[in-house]
Amino acid sequence: MSLSTAQPGANPRSGGSTAWRRFRRHRLAVVSLWVLALLFAVVVSAPALEVMLGLDADAVNLFARMAPPGAAHWLGTDELGRDLLLRLLHGGRVSLLVGFTAAVAAAVIGATLGLISGYFGGRVDAIVMRFADGVISLPLLPLLIVLAAIDPGKLGLPEEISGSQSFSLYRIVVIIALVGWPTVARLVRAATLSLRQREFVLVALAQGFGPARIMFRHILPNTASPILVATTLTVGNVILFESVLSFLGLGIQPPMPSWGNMLTGAQDLISEAPALALWPGTLIFLTVISFNLLGDGLQAALDPRSRRVG
Amino acid sequence: MAALVNATVLSRWLIALLMTIAAALGTTSTAPAETRDKLTIGITQFPSTLNPIIDSMLVKSYILAMARRQISIFGHDWEAMCQLCTELATFDNGRAEAFDGVDKAGKPTGEKGVRTRFTLRDDAFWGDGVPVTTRDIVFTWKVGKHPETGVADYRSFQDILDIEVHDEKSFTVVNRKLDYRYYAMSGFQPLPAHLEGKAFAVPKDYRNRTLYETDPTNPGLYNGPYRITEVVPGSHIVLSRNEQWRGAAPTFNEIRVRTIEKTAALEANLLSGAIDYIAGEAGLSLDQALAFEKRHGDDYDVVYKPGLIYEHLDLMLDNPVLADLRVRRALIQAIDRQAISDQLFAGKQPVAHSGVHPLDWTHSEEIRKYDYAPDKARALLDDAGWSDIRNGVRHNVAGEKLAFEIMTTAGNRVRELVEQVLQDYWKAVGIEVRIRNQPARVLFGETISKRKFSGLAMFAWLSAPESLPRTTLHSDFIPSPANSWAGQNYTGFNDPEMDRLIDAIEIELDRDKRGGLWKRVQQIYADRLPAIPLYFRADGFILPKWLKGIRPTGHMYTTTNWVEEWRVE
Amino acid sequence: MIGFILTRAAQSAFVLLVMSFIIYVLLGLMPGDPIDLMIGADPNVTAADIARLKALQGLDQPLLDRYGAWLANALEGDFGYSRLFSKPVLEVLRPRLLNSLILMAVSLALALMVAIPAGIHAARRPGSWTDQAINLLCFAGVSVPPFWLALLLILLFAVSLGALPASGMQTIGDGGLLDRIRYMILPILTLSAAGIAGYTRHTRAAMIEVLREDYIRTARAKGLAERRVVWRHALRNALLPVVTIAALDFGSLFSGALITETMFSWLGMGKTIYDAVMGNDYNLALVGLLLATGVTLIANILADIAYAWLDPRISYRVERGS
Repeated sequence: MSLSTAQPGANPRSGGSTAWRRFRRHRLAVVSLWVLALLFAVVVSAPALEVMLGLDADAVNLFARMAPPGAAHWLGTDELGRDLLLRLLHGGRVSLLVGFTAAVAAAVIGATLGLISGYFGGRVDAIVMRFADGVISLPLLPLLIVLAAIDPGKLGLPEEISGSQSFSLYRIVVIIALVGWPTVARLVRAATLSLRQREFVLVALAQGFGPARIMFRHILPNTASPILVATTLTVGNVILFESVLSFLGLGIQPPMPSWGNMLTGAQDLISEAPALALWPGTLIFLTVISFNLLGDGLQAALDPRSRRVG
Repeated sequence: MAALVNATVLSRWLIALLMTIAAALGTTSTAPAETRDKLTIGITQFPSTLNPIIDSMLVKSYILAMARRQISIFGHDWEAMCQLCTELATFDNGRAEAFDGVDKAGKPTGEKGVRTRFTLRDDAFWGDGVPVTTRDIVFTWKVGKHPETGVADYRSFQDILDIEVHDEKSFTVVNRKLDYRYYAMSGFQPLPAHLEGKAFAVPKDYRNRTLYETDPTNPGLYNGPYRITEVVPGSHIVLSRNEQWRGAAPTFNEIRVRTIEKTAALEANLLSGAIDYIAGEAGLSLDQALAFEKRHGDDYDVVYKPGLIYEHLDLMLDNPVLADLRVRRALIQAIDRQAISDQLFAGKQPVAHSGVHPLDWTHSEEIRKYDYAPDKARALLDDAGWSDIRNGVRHNVAGEKLAFEIMTTAGNRVRELVEQVLQDYWKAVGIEVRIRNQPARVLFGETISKRKFSGLAMFAWLSAPESLPRTTLHSDFIPSPANSWAGQNYTGFNDPEMDRLIDAIEIELDRDKRGGLWKRVQQIYADRLPAIPLYFRADGFILPKWLKGIRPTGHMYTTTNWVEEWRVE
Repeated sequence: MIGFILTRAAQSAFVLLVMSFIIYVLLGLMPGDPIDLMIGADPNVTAADIARLKALQGLDQPLLDRYGAWLANALEGDFGYSRLFSKPVLEVLRPRLLNSLILMAVSLALALMVAIPAGIHAARRPGSWTDQAINLLCFAGVSVPPFWLALLLILLFAVSLGALPASGMQTIGDGGLLDRIRYMILPILTLSAAGIAGYTRHTRAAMIEVLREDYIRTARAKGLAERRVVWRHALRNALLPVVTIAALDFGSLFSGALITETMFSWLGMGKTIYDAVMGNDYNLALVGLLLATGVTLIANILADIAYAWLDPRISYRVERGS
């Protein structure tokens, strides 16, 4: 259950157009990009579609439970008579939102620590990297369960946050950011180590710029490729991970739909209404595999010499 | 190391593996046993301990009822009945007599106590051949009332002032208090003194040293039709015939109880023949049982029994908005409980109008009932000052929003569904309800038990017939730091008449008079609405066509108390 | 080498100690304690009962004191009783540890047995349609929600075909080797799916790299059969990273098989830890988590040793990752 499995191997930026050409050669990645783009477009337009169809995603109709697909409900209805298509789209918004926010949060923490570690070296580096090693070598899933089970009130979180309907969403993002950063940190550190010796950095140093400026203005942009690849792969893994947490009852909590909790809820009724499980399951699979293939393609394009391992 | 892995070795391995799989696939042993001298039951939980008096847990009672008998239980008619005793102790048969209570100094307390005489059946034996005697009764009482043994419910043991032994089989219990349940000893589970004595030598360690933990297959621990012969924690328990059982002989030589937590897997095991029967008491949820019946009704009998499981919404009466009776009535009239019962549960779960079950003799029809009337709900809310509707949500003159939080156990799919239905109903009359669920442990361990919920909390009470709502409705039982959060009056319901009625019912021995008091309790409950009654939960029993004689009781004493009546046809 | 192992062992012991404290505090941050839970379940518990029971279980003491007491006992080998099972913690964990190890070892072995030939096959013809098909299958393998895969396998093999048991560990009253193997097949299939996918890609990548090396070209130039070149000369070096990664994975798999264990009622470590956390069983959760961490740390050390042993170019005076 690793969150991201990109390999180190950061090279300075290669020309954009060659990268694009290389990317296009990876046909599966191109298809994935289209699939994801389409998915985004549809998911983002969910509210508009809701108005267009004159339906409300939350409107319960006890007299039309588990209806088959038809003109009124294109994919039929769920176990409470709600429009399945709209629920799936809203669930998709949540799942993708969780995936992106968590992956970006992990990347931000990882990039910052990686930069600091690689730039300053020495004792700072040793501490940060030992810490990263520690986090990586921990038994992740059981620890996450403990984290997901702790009482936000005892941590002194204000009631507005711990009591909000979206709390489960924040929780997943924070948890993943806390354990997902070491991968990016290692990648960025490795890149920083080599970039620090490069001419443009030495020039900047000679000009008397401070470490912060050099790190974020000069080095960080050149580590974009590995960060992008790792983050892309992480998005997919987070979506998968959310479904696992949902299965354990620790994911996104109803009534907020996510693909993970829709799939979990549907498995109890799998033989009566298989479509309820089929759709979210398929969408999770499709999205996750697309993100993985996209990451693979990006890696091949941005970093052609690295071993293609995912 | 790497050199070892070459082509030939690899292919040899693969061939061996494939052959193993093929061999395994060839031998199907899942075909149902032709002889049917064994029964495999599936349940969803594994008991945390097998000791009958430590912790109360439904699955434990379920399994133990096949292997252990109690002094008395409640029967199918919801009346008390003897298991180990010969007859109940009433004033009419001379086995009970009242006395005036005195305190330690010998001064009268003004309360009445009661002495009840019971006789143990002659044919009651432990599995090692030792008869069940008064020694066991006295021993059990000593274990139960000892403060260090960790028995949760030791108050009932403490209420026993003394047990007078007359001979091997008969004894008199001296109870501190004469109450309406005096004639039986429900919940008293005798322990074998000749075996458990050693474990009780250090009372503090009894919990861990009891033979029910350290040697659970010892035949002497059991006095029922079966005895436990194999325990694999978390997986299964095997029960075999108890040779020392002198009652009616059970049909099956062996009963196996398997724990399968995921209901989807439980169903798969039933269909694949790995288990014969899913216990209704701890099996599929009702909607799953309904779906199952739809598809497999030809192969299985599905029996439904509405039970003493009262699903309701506790309302936090300290919330000034909910303190307004009009708002509470609006909440209940805005929801169509009949439609929920009909559509989600095929009408198998009767709508509740109070906490008293229709099958309970104390049930009264002469109470206020709330039908689905959204217009009345709107009128009530207007009247209560919540008339300013903005964005579909009601506000009062002060500009406050009419909004509540509803909580239930996260992961309980059925409750989560009902919650969303209710949310939608309330939205229609302009009440905004936000859902905030917590895992059962958090909800019951903290939020509800320490009254930290601000609006509505959905959960269930499981009880015995004619069970007095003292801890849930009496004002002495409102949890607070002062009483270490004891009590279950989570809503904070405080009504002097209710308190008086509860006290009166407890000591009223005349059944008719008590019935009148019970009626009044239900009327107050329905009038004042400290909670919104939803329905009585039903269990779905999924039985193979050949299995007969399982009669659901609907209360906390499970079908396994009559396991010797189960038979094959 | 021995110095390196000792250093790592000492570091691991320190990590375990720190972990025990962190986990203890985290468990303390979980809402409610066992007694609070009991109040919710039992209508007759009084204030006096609660105080009595809390004192009995030591729950009235401050968290740090409780940790100190626990640690002192643990160092003497007494890990306390599990609340959920009313048994000494180690007695609960021992059979489950074994169950987990069996499941893990077989899954890992199966994954490697399938992944290595598949990876090599793909690496020999990079870009071919078989390579692409294997690649796609691998991505599919890591993109399926594991509980979903488990459910489909149960429905197919246990319900529709009736060929394999749906869940559990053995037929009650049987328990022979063949019987146990039948119960292991579906969980192992579920568990090895992601492993197969991962190792295939690792093998493929490593193999492609190795096949570019000079000595392979030399071997080919000498006219050795391609089979021999690949399986004898290249594989040894290509396996290096794969073995390392497998060793590292073993640790995380060990406690991460929770989903598989839950779906198939397999009594392993992941499920036990989950139940302990959810059931407020402090002792069991703590020791279980520490055991899982310990296994992970040992796997890490073994990975390092294996690496150093197989690849003489690496000196382990400097630590891995630096």
